[in-house]
Order: sequence, then C-alpha cells, then structure tokens
Amino acid sequence: MPSQPPLASRELTRRSFLRGLGVAGAGAALASCAPASAGSGATEIIFYQSKPEVIGYFDDLIEQFHQTQSRVRVRHDATSNLAGSFVRESPPDIGLLNYNFEVSRYVERGVLSDLSDIPAVERIRDDLQPLIDVTATYPGRTSVIPYSLMAAAVLYNREIFDQHGVQPPTTWQEFLALCETLAAAGVTPIYSTFRDPWTIAQGPFDYSVGGMVDTAEFFSRLKEAGVDVGLDHSVSFQEEFLEPVERMQTFLQYSNEDAASRGYGDGNLAFARGEAAMYLQGPWALTEIAKSNPDLDVGAFPLPMSDDPDDREVRVNIDLALWIPEASGKKEAAREFLSFLMQPEIIDAYNAAALGFGVTTDAAPVTNSTLAELREYYDRGAFYLGASQLVPQSIPLQNYTQSLATGAEPERVLRTLDADWARLAFRA
Amino acid sequence: MATTAAAPPQTRDTAAPRRPGATRRPVHRTFYLFLVPSLVLFTLAITLPAIMGVTLSFTDSVGFGEFDFVGLTNYVAMVSDPAILSSYGFTIGFALVTVLVVNLVAFLLAVLLTSKIRAKVALRAVFVLPMVISGIIIAYVFGFLFSNTLPRFGQAIGFEPLASSLLANEDLAWLTIVFVTAWQAIPSALLIYIAGILSIPGEVYEAASMDGASARRRLVSITLPLVAGYVVINLVIGFKNFLNAYDIIVGLTNGGPGTATRSVAMTIFSGFTGGDYAYQMANATIFFLIAVVLAGIQLRATRGRSGI
Amino acid sequence: MTATTLTTTAAGQVPTRRRRRFTGRGGDEHPNRPGTVVLLVCSLAVFLPLYATVSMAFKTTQQSVNSRVFELPSPLSVEGFVEAWDLTDFPRGFAISVFVTVVTVVGTVVLAAFAAYAIARNWDRRFFRWSFFYLLAAMFLPFPVLALSQVKLTGMVGLANPVGVAVLHVMFQLSFSVLLFTAFIRGLPEELEESAKLEGASTWTTFRRIVFPMMAPMSATVAIFAFLASWNDFMMPSLIIADSTQQTLPVLQSVFQTQFSSNYNVAFASYLMAMAPAILVYLFTQRWVMSGVTQGAIK
Repeated sequence: MPSQPPLASRELTRRSFLRGLGVAGAGAALASCAPASAGSGATEIIFYQSKPEVIGYFDDLIEQFHQTQSRVRVRHDATSNLAGSFVRESPPDIGLLNYNFEVSRYVERGVLSDLSDIPAVERIRDDLQPLIDVTATYPGRTSVIPYSLMAAAVLYNREIFDQHGVQPPTTWQEFLALCETLAAAGVTPIYSTFRDPWTIAQGPFDYSVGGMVDTAEFFSRLKEAGVDVGLDHSVSFQEEFLEPVERMQTFLQYSNEDAASRGYGDGNLAFARGEAAMYLQGPWALTEIAKSNPDLDVGAFPLPMSDDPDDREVRVNIDLALWIPEASGKKEAAREFLSFLMQPEIIDAYNAAALGFGVTTDAAPVTNSTLAELREYYDRGAFYLGASQLVPQSIPLQNYTQSLATGAEPERVLRTLDADWARLAFRA
Repeated sequence: MATTAAAPPQTRDTAAPRRPGATRRPVHRTFYLFLVPSLVLFTLAITLPAIMGVTLSFTDSVGFGEFDFVGLTNYVAMVSDPAILSSYGFTIGFALVTVLVVNLVAFLLAVLLTSKIRAKVALRAVFVLPMVISGIIIAYVFGFLFSNTLPRFGQAIGFEPLASSLLANEDLAWLTIVFVTAWQAIPSALLIYIAGILSIPGEVYEAASMDGASARRRLVSITLPLVAGYVVINLVIGFKNFLNAYDIIVGLTNGGPGTATRSVAMTIFSGFTGGDYAYQMANATIFFLIAVVLAGIQLRATRGRSGI
Repeated sequence: MTATTLTTTAAGQVPTRRRRRFTGRGGDEHPNRPGTVVLLVCSLAVFLPLYATVSMAFKTTQQSVNSRVFELPSPLSVEGFVEAWDLTDFPRGFAISVFVTVVTVVGTVVLAAFAAYAIARNWDRRFFRWSFFYLLAAMFLPFPVLALSQVKLTGMVGLANPVGVAVLHVMFQLSFSVLLFTAFIRGLPEELEESAKLEGASTWTTFRRIVFPMMAPMSATVAIFAFLASWNDFMMPSLIIADSTQQTLPVLQSVFQTQFSSNYNVAFASYLMAMAPAILVYLFTQRWVMSGVTQGAIK
C-alpha cells in the first residue's frame, strides 16, 4: 500500500465516511433481519466452512461441541458468498477456509482480528510461518491459525507401474523416459482434465513451477518490485516461468486425447478405473477415487523437474485456516469454539480423516499409504507453496493455464501475466 | 429497466407560471408531505450510493476493511486493461448491432401490423408477448435450443457453421445474444412504431395515392419521414438499454467462451466478489459518464421530435 | 438459426408484398393477405421457443433427453413439474416474487402520484420544480453504476433481502413514473379541485376523492411498467439479496441451473412455472397493456 496517509487520517476517512453513510442509510431500514440469539442465554455464532468434502464432518463436530457445553451454539454456514458478507459488513463470527488469495484480502485489509494470545498458536510448526507470511500479513497481528495442510504430488497407479516394471522417477529425464515407456506400451501416461481450469493450475502448472522456482522467494521479490515487472526488470514471469511452463507443455502431451473436454469428476472416475497411470491431483481426489474404486492402490511422488534428485519437493497449501473477523460481535464465543477445534485429538482426527498433514508440533504422523510416500518431504521441510495460490483473483491465472495446456504460446501468456501483475501493483 | 422515452416537460408551456397574474399563494403543507418522503428515499437509495461509488473509485478499497485514497490511479490503470477495454468493445458493438436489428424488424412489423390484415388484434398481441417474459429465462430456453436443436439441424442440412454449438464459438456466440435480446426487445419498439404510424392522418396517404405514388414510394416518402422522430427515440433508448446487457448474457454464455461476450455490467459486478471493488467503481463511473452523454443525446432527440 | 432466417426473409419481402395495400390506411381496398401470411410466419419466431418450453416441460426425463425438442410429449408427464416444484421450492420463490412485485407496483403508484401531484400543482415554486428534475436524473443512472454501493449499503442497514429489492425497484421506477404523472396531471382541469377546496376540502381529501380517481388511466400505465420491470428483473435481486433461499423466481432459475443438470424436463417445467404468471396476466390484460405501454413510451 504505497502513499499511505497517516493512520489517524485514514481511520477518520474510513469511519466518518462509511459509518456516516451507514447511519444515514439506517433510516431506510424498514426490515432488519438481525439474527435473534438462541434462547436460554446461549450465544449463537455463525461458523463459515465451505470445503464440500468435509461439510458433514464439521456438522458432526458441532454436535459434539454442543454436547460439551451449553453457552455457545454454532450455526454452520457453507453456502453464503463470503466476500459478499464482508462487503455487506455482516461477516460470519468464525471462519475455517482455504488460506489463499481470497483470504489474503481479508488479512491485508485488517478485517481479521488478532489471535496471537490464543494458547494454541504456540503449537503451530515454525516452518509454516513463511508460507503464511508470503500469502498475506498484517503488521502486529496473527490473523489466521493454520488447521490442516495438504501435500500434493503426482498420484500413480502402483499396479500399472508394477506391470510395466517402472519406478517413480527421480529426475526430469527419468520422468520423460517413464512417459515414453508407458505410451509405447499402450498405456495413457497422464490423465488430464483441461475443462476445469483449476485442475491445471493446481496440478501441472504448480508442480512445474514449484519444481524449478523458489515460489516463496519469487513472490516476495515480485511484491517488492511493485510495477517494475517484466523482461526489462529484475523479476518477471516471462523470464523465470518460461522453462517450467515449456516443460509442462512437453509432459502434458502424454495426456489422454480427450483431455480438453474432461473435467475433475471425469478424471477421478477414469483414474479409479485404471485408464491412466498418473494423475496430477492432490489428496482431496483420493477420497473421490476411493468412492468408485476403493481397492485401487495409489502411490504418490513429487514431480521431478530437474536432473538432481535432491531437488524434489512436494506442493503444499494451507488447506484450512481459522480466523475470527474484527466485525464479529461475539469474539469470545467464537474463540471458545476455536479452542475446541484446536484440541489435539480433534485436529488430529480431522487431518487423519481428510488426508491432511498436521500443522502442530504435537500432531500425529500421517498413516495413509499414499501420503506416507510424501511424508519424508514434509518432515524435512522440502515443500513449496503453489504459485497459483499466490496470484490475486483479479488475474485470471487459471484461465491462462488452461490456454497454456491447450497449446498457447508461453511467451505471449507470460507477457500478459507480467502486464497484469504490473497493472495490479500500479493500482494496489 | 423499462424501455422509456422522456419528453422533457419543459418543452411544453410549463416554463410560464401556472396562473399568470395570480398572487403567490402559500404552499399547503400537505404538498410537502406528498413530495418529501420520495425525495428522502430517493436520496438514500440513489444519490447516496452514487456519491459513495464515485468517492470510492478514487481509493484502493476491496469492498471492506481499510483503504487509501489513490487519486486517479484506477482510471489510469483502466485505460490499459485489456479485460475492461474488450468488455467495452463487445458491449458497444453488441448494442449497435442489436439496436439496428431491433428497429429494422420492429419498423417493418409495425408497418404490416397497421395495414389491412386479418386478426389484427390477435397478431399484435402475439408480437408484444415476448415483452412480458423474463430475459434470463428465455435465454435459458434459447440456450438449450442453440446448443442442442440448432446443431442437430445444422448437421442434418450439412451446413458446417451450424453443426456445432454457436454458444461455444468464440467468434459467433455474440450473434445468439443479439438474437435473443432482439426477440425480447422488439415488442416495445414495435408499440412505439405502431403508435407513430397510427398518428399519421389517413388523408396524407389518400392524397399520395391519388397522385399515383407507389407503395414503396409512400413508405419512403411519407411513413418514414413522419415517424422519423420515433425512429430516433427508439434508437437512443434501445442503445442505452442494450449497453446494460446482463440477464440474457448470463443465461446464454455467461460471458464466454473465454471472455468473448463479457459485457461492461458483468465486468463491473465482478468487482463485488473479486476484490477489485474500487477499480470497478471507477469503471462504473466512466460507464455513468457515457450514460450521461447518451441522456444528453436523448433529450436533444426527443426535443427534435416535438418539432416535427 | 431457423428463427432468424424466418424473420429476416419475411422482413425483406415486405416492401414488394405491400404494394397494393398501402392505399390501405384510409383507403378501402381488399385486405392485405400476403401481409397476414408474412406475419403468421413471423409469429413462429415467438411461438417456437414457447412451444419448446411447454413440450419439454411435459416430457419424462427419459424423453427430454432422447427425443427431439419439438416432438410432442408422449406420454404426457408432470414429473418435471413435481420435481421442479420441490427442488426450487417454487411456492416460496413465487411468494417472494409476488411480494416484491406488489410492493413495487403499489409503492411506485402511490409515491409517484403523491410526488407528481405536489410538483404539478406547485410548478411555480422553485423547490418543486427542482425536485422534479432531481427525481428525473435517475432515469439516466443505470443500475450497474450504483450496484456495488447499493450492495454494500443495503447490507449495512439489513436490507439485503426482498424488502430492499422492492425499495430499490420503487426508486428506480420513480423518475419515469413521476414524469408520466406530472404530464398527466397538467392536462387535468383544475376547476373540480378549486370547487372542492372552496367547499372546505383539505388538499389530502381533494387528492384522494378527486385527483387520484381521475389519474386512473395513467396509474394503470405506471403500474404496468412497474410490474414488468419488477417481476422480470434478474440483475438487482441476484446482487442485492444475500440469502439464495430468499431469491425471486428469475434468479432461482440461475441458482438451480447446475442442479437441473440433464433433467431437461425439470428445468423447462421450472422455466414454465416462472414465466406462466406474467403470460397469464398479459393474456387477460393485453389490450390494456398495449395501450398503456404505448401511452407511456411516447410521452
């Protein structure tokens, strides 16, 4: 935020302007739908959590919470438009959400309250801090508490690998050779679903970039550079993403032929049926795959992008993080529920069920056989944050990756990306 | 919004006081009670948001939380933003084509519907019917026909461009939007033309046909000039309405394929959830200025008409 | 694009076909038969999509997927309606749409009539004259320009619901309606009002007993415009109403669009139920609607 006026005047502007408007507008409030607090003195809070795979899981947890105490009632909201609720100044009392470009706006604009005095914060692993900071920070505040971390890599069908006597590759060359071998044997090496742009952004794109570029360092440099992004400057997508993106286009040629018209659901089904050897998806897909074929033996390996096996790292994202908005009038009740969710047995049980990695120092290790292959990388800190999670929503990155996957010229797309970034920085 | 034309009342004799020579009587209090509630509500619901929108367009607000004033930054950034420029290009092009199609068809239908035809009342009723149907719903219906029925028809007659869905064709999808918009917008233009043609005295035609003028000639040299004012009104109002294109696009293409059919209204609304709140406010402000210019043209046009 | 072709070729034929008829207006030649035929053909463009809607709505899911759109449903099935009724919670959406429309129509007619009467009868006063132009200004303000601020403000004052949409609908209709009413009241003779006042009737009584009844034709026009604008609106409710279970019928169609998926009969049954009320109202009032709209539009 450049050209920042003194804090006091900014406060004044905001208050006098918006609140003033609010008060003036209140005259028009013919019908106010203020939620009546549940009877018998209990405080009702609204809990926003919309990850579709685990909505039922959290409903059960809320039930459990209600049984342990009677002061706080929790209402689960999984459908509202979250950004809309902030714009309307009626946000939920507590949220549990993917920590990405969307939540970063809430953090940076200071609408999330400080949670640093909550004891559970002490248990968070230290090496996660850089991941949180590169996404968004607000000076002097702990705005979010990580809850679950997902490690994503290339999922592979162990049976097909065994049949063709191949091993998970450790270098870029081995990976290409593997694709050749499989293709020559009549097996579709990779199942891709280009119809859903996010599957390209979070899979092939993030793996390729993360395997060659230090994303956290790259995006910190980008933020510092401001509008000075592009080939003429010290940092640019054109310069540093070109090779990864070209390599992505190379290996995506080993995809199923109908990739352009296939979506996420199709991909899960096809991989479950053994129609391809590899599938570039995160652990969230495992539960979906298991629905159609519970016996499929799935392994995972980080996509090798260089010739040094030691360069291999897994893509992580903070899949869920807790936060409490400043505008909530029921912060105490919200904190009580937050502390309940952070209890070791509750958080561990969740991560085991949702195939997430624990974020606390006392977390139980993962046991899932697929994820066990990725555990060593996580434990020694060999991970990176997906680049697609760090680009603000105003830039249609997912659509760009879709164009790239279907053959668009990388230079042109990356030039657009540089220009978009500079324009965004210009008006930030 | 309804299709509406406004003849400014000041073109009538209203500039002069109501009762010349009458002494200024006191205004009865009831009159204030009649007017003031509307003024207050109007100020809260329309003026206040307008001021707030323009003010926020000079900030970096994302719709909530802290923000700073950034001067003209948003406006400067807009000028080079391909997403915004292309939405203006699409919207203006679409509005121009649609307004021409609508007026051509509506005028010809009006000429036919005012001639000596059978079942005149019933036929007029039929052609006005689309006006009462919600744009988004009819867009869904047409969307189905365009993506299923029409390609099947195209394959059957072996006509290549129609054999696959027009909605998925980046270059042609806008045609479907023009078509459905016209389908829904023709009735109101039609009614205005019918009223215009009916207001031409029959004697004019009788005199012309006695002089041996052909039908085509009468159309060109009598009907057209005499309804010219209505043509101008219809063109201006139509263009103004089509600039707000939203419902039908949402129902047909939702802005796609890619961003080929994204209208200005859709782009502005994206600022609501996408974090570009202040930026899109700047966009809305520019859009407002365009609307003001059009309003000026409209006033001029309607004033011109009363001179006929 | 069958329908377009029909319309354009038909339109292209007009000049030649009407050769004999134009003496028509005023003359007493034989009726314009070719013109009637052309119009009948053109009317297919209006009927076909509506026919498709009805026909698809009455099919079974199986038929709606497999048969041609224009094939008649056989057997006639109402399963689409039953499912759409439950899925979209039609009674609720219908009630909300009716509520918003009724409030808009009544609110527009009442507020605009009041304001217009006050303005028309005090035109010599600067306050009233300026108020008129102030209210008129909104006619040039498209909703997209105000949308983002209105979303925020309605949210802040607890009006992110159908009530808020109705209030905004009234406000957006106000300009045009005041314009129509003001012009109309100016044309009314003032003698009746004067004599009522001489007999000691208050301004309010005069308005209620004498002026408002005389305004009935213009009130109908204003009401028709308000009805059409409110009942069919998609843009405003979709942005203003926060809770999708409180949405109006047009917006519900888009909310459930993905859930209809390939149950085309359910989708079309839902569309039909959402369109039908306005069409039915129109069928019974069409002459009125046409004269009202024309009256309003050329004012």
